[in-house]
Amino acid sequence: MNDNDAQFIGKNALHPRVVEKALGAPIFAADLGDGNQLVLKARRAGVHHAEIVSIDTREAEAVPGVVRIFTSADIPGRNAVGIIGNNKDWPILAVGKVRSKADAVALVAAETEAAADAAVKAIRIEWKELPAVLDPEAALLPDAPKIHESGNLLYTRLIKKGDVEAGFAASCHILENEYETPMIEHCYIETEAGIGYFDEDGIMTIEVATQNTHYDQADICAVLDVPEEQLRVVQAVTGGGFGGKLDISVHGFIGLALLHLRRPVRYFYTREESFLASGKRHGMKLKLKTGVDRNGKLLAVQGRVLSDGGAYGSYGIAVVTRTGVHLTGPYECPNVDVEVREIYTNHPFCCAMRGFGTPQGALAHESQMDMHGQALGLDPIEIRLRNALVNGSEQATGQIIHASAGLTDCLKALRPYYDEAMSVWMKEKPGRPSRKRGVGVGAMWYGCGNTAAANPAAAHIEIDQNGQLTLYSGAADIGQGSTITLLQIAAEVLGVEPAKFKSVIADTKYTENAGASSASRQTYISGNATLQAATLMADALLERAGDQLQSPKEDLALAGGKVTLKSNPAVGLPLAQLAGSMHTLGLPMKFRGYFDPDTTPLDPKTGQGCPYGTYAFACQLVQLEVDVLTGEIDIHRVVAAHDVGRMINPANLVGQVCGGVAMGLGYGILEEFAPGVESLKDYHICTSTDVPEIVPILVETPEPTGPFGAKGIGEPSLIPTAPAAVNALEMAIGERIYALPATLERVMEACQKAGWFEKLEV
Amino acid sequence: MVKMKISFILNGRPAEGEAVPAQTAVSFLRDSMDQRSVKEGCGIGECGACTIIVNGLAVTSCLMTAAQLDGATVETTEGLAKSGNLHPLQESFIQHNAIQCGYCTPGALMSAKALLAENPEPTRREIRKALAGNLCRCTGYQQIVDAVEDAAKAMRGKTDGEGCR
Repeated sequence: MNDNDAQFIGKNALHPRVVEKALGAPIFAADLGDGNQLVLKARRAGVHHAEIVSIDTREAEAVPGVVRIFTSADIPGRNAVGIIGNNKDWPILAVGKVRSKADAVALVAAETEAAADAAVKAIRIEWKELPAVLDPEAALLPDAPKIHESGNLLYTRLIKKGDVEAGFAASCHILENEYETPMIEHCYIETEAGIGYFDEDGIMTIEVATQNTHYDQADICAVLDVPEEQLRVVQAVTGGGFGGKLDISVHGFIGLALLHLRRPVRYFYTREESFLASGKRHGMKLKLKTGVDRNGKLLAVQGRVLSDGGAYGSYGIAVVTRTGVHLTGPYECPNVDVEVREIYTNHPFCCAMRGFGTPQGALAHESQMDMHGQALGLDPIEIRLRNALVNGSEQATGQIIHASAGLTDCLKALRPYYDEAMSVWMKEKPGRPSRKRGVGVGAMWYGCGNTAAANPAAAHIEIDQNGQLTLYSGAADIGQGSTITLLQIAAEVLGVEPAKFKSVIADTKYTENAGASSASRQTYISGNATLQAATLMADALLERAGDQLQSPKEDLALAGGKVTLKSNPAVGLPLAQLAGSMHTLGLPMKFRGYFDPDTTPLDPKTGQGCPYGTYAFACQLVQLEVDVLTGEIDIHRVVAAHDVGRMINPANLVGQVCGGVAMGLGYGILEEFAPGVESLKDYHICTSTDVPEIVPILVETPEPTGPFGAKGIGEPSLIPTAPAAVNALEMAIGERIYALPATLERVMEACQKAGWFEKLEV
Repeated sequence: MVKMKISFILNGRPAEGEAVPAQTAVSFLRDSMDQRSVKEGCGIGECGACTIIVNGLAVTSCLMTAAQLDGATVETTEGLAKSGNLHPLQESFIQHNAIQCGYCTPGALMSAKALLAENPEPTRREIRKALAGNLCRCTGYQQIVDAVEDAAKAMRGKTDGEGCR
């Protein structure tokens, strides 16, 4: 199909729930329920690392309004959760010891918020404090206190290809540098929230802000020791996720209280509790050594990365695997030697966050690429073009990227903006002599889907006897717009406007597992499952119409809610009529689609294998001004070129690009979850005045295995931004910053190093 | 506990409710007056999700007590749509894809409404400044600025149709 033929693909369409959101309708978890639910609240450890000597709940139980206080003794099943199947290391309620300040030790259920608060304070815990391990390097020392019985090294990912020493020997320019990235907070505007009740069939139901209802259901069922048919998880309209609503938060507590009390309950985190108890982006220390030949071609990449996983594994193994796989950057390199280690510390647990370990690596590979370019007199776009993965390239794990390698197209799209910025904008005089301008480029690649693991999705499309179509998908829409994307795919196949479909989304009672809304996977994976379901439905409708119109299927088309003769579109049968006759004949009315990308496991010693079905590519340009005497940064413009395979919904794609850029700028210059950060008073994300005008450029390089050629966008949008900002800062200041974020202090230090204080003294 | 009576104008109509003395305005509006559009995102006036309009000014209702609403004219997002018709700001937010997760939306709508009442023809810079107290983690703000700019045009009755994409 070419663009001109598409009716609904590549066009904007409104998300089914957007009007409710504009009206401020009560659709989020905190808005639900009748106000008569019991209030839940956890007692958190408040200490980094300690043995629990005793827990005394007597005083708390006596607080008026308290219904019950739970401890780990009340958990009937497996008191351990975690998304990675073989690493369920996180108790819902602590047993024997706590490993982070956030660890929940007891859970209060009370009639009122005030009673719950009072009871939480009245729980007496006697601790035997253990030495806290807050540095990943220290955690690996032989005499370091063990955080988990298995030790502090959770996982090592190796990627080895070719002969890295030979690569360096053949290189004409070699760089070796250390980089550091901080833990950061997801900071969705809706904090974790959920309610529990018994549904119309008497089933325990958790309605919760989440990115993956089916994972939630599986882990909570294990905790409660109930079969899956006895626990339903429904996604409430979710106020942002970014990876932070993939782990179990309020859900486990709600399940436990429902099971024991058989009464409706609710649990909403305050912002302070969210900052304390939610997962963070992994902080990493990266050593990267790279060598290029005289033409700037990358010959060797050697990386050693330590990742601070905090107290529990969560997605950590997947995060560091992704760091390793992507550490070459979106470039060809014949010789690779990478080791990434995931380490337990007593920090807050670290989890998935937009980019899954690649934004950390991108700071390193994009800084190196710029420095190589400078050394060889190649501009940042030229050196990236020379190294870009193209169709037919072999990446670090030995996978050949057969199609849709869109980096070259993205770089070419950025070229005029870069040239204009350099030749015009950089030549203009800023308002004050102390203000210096810089232009920086960052690039990225990102595998769509879970890494080297089966990660299927199913979807169903049903037609009722009146011709009403319904999409059933387990893919949680957290605001990114997955539901409308899937509807547009189904609409295109069935010739029915997206707005005419009903949709049932992310409810374990009615939808099949679609995996997580993470890893930029739902457009690609649930998109394909939806495409297959819609194609089967279309086939059934055409078959039925063929019988009735006495015409072979091939001569029929689906359009405008009808099956018509291709030769004479005036002759047709409405879907309602066809569905009615299918119903009468007892024919199937619901069809299932399924897709699992073609991946293979990575070899444990070499990391060789096929980790992803397809990759997204992007590059971004940041123009900024720095005051070299005050350290103040003013972002002037960001141009973001993204290879999306094929556009399904351009407005959604632009939304992801602009949102990712804003979050990426925060990662680059503002955000750090450091000790003492308790709430939004100490933690700043970009406001509307920090974010400049963004120029999104959507590049299409259709992916043969994608639905209509589409790939993911959610995470790629953030990954190049911080490196591009750091590269722009280097141009402006004349000194490089190797640690994120480029705070005022770090910028000032760089300015001082560059000698600006002397140069500009008056 | 002693309760106090709060009488005020809510979205153009006289309203009355009971509050306990230290109760915040956001808690009172959500729990007693059923104004669930008013979101509590941080409780300390940093995120703007609880923004409402009090006597014409956009304010964070988590930093106010319910008692401060007594006698005031209060607007929330519940009052924006009139007899089933969306307010031009709501229409524009939808058309410009300024709503992703939607949690910050009611607060942003309130800030935008207060801005346009005072300045019907704001520049993009002025829009950004007026919305600087409304954190959004999804959109990157650009679509929100587009939406407010375009709604301003529509509300001035000079819409040229170019705004809707």
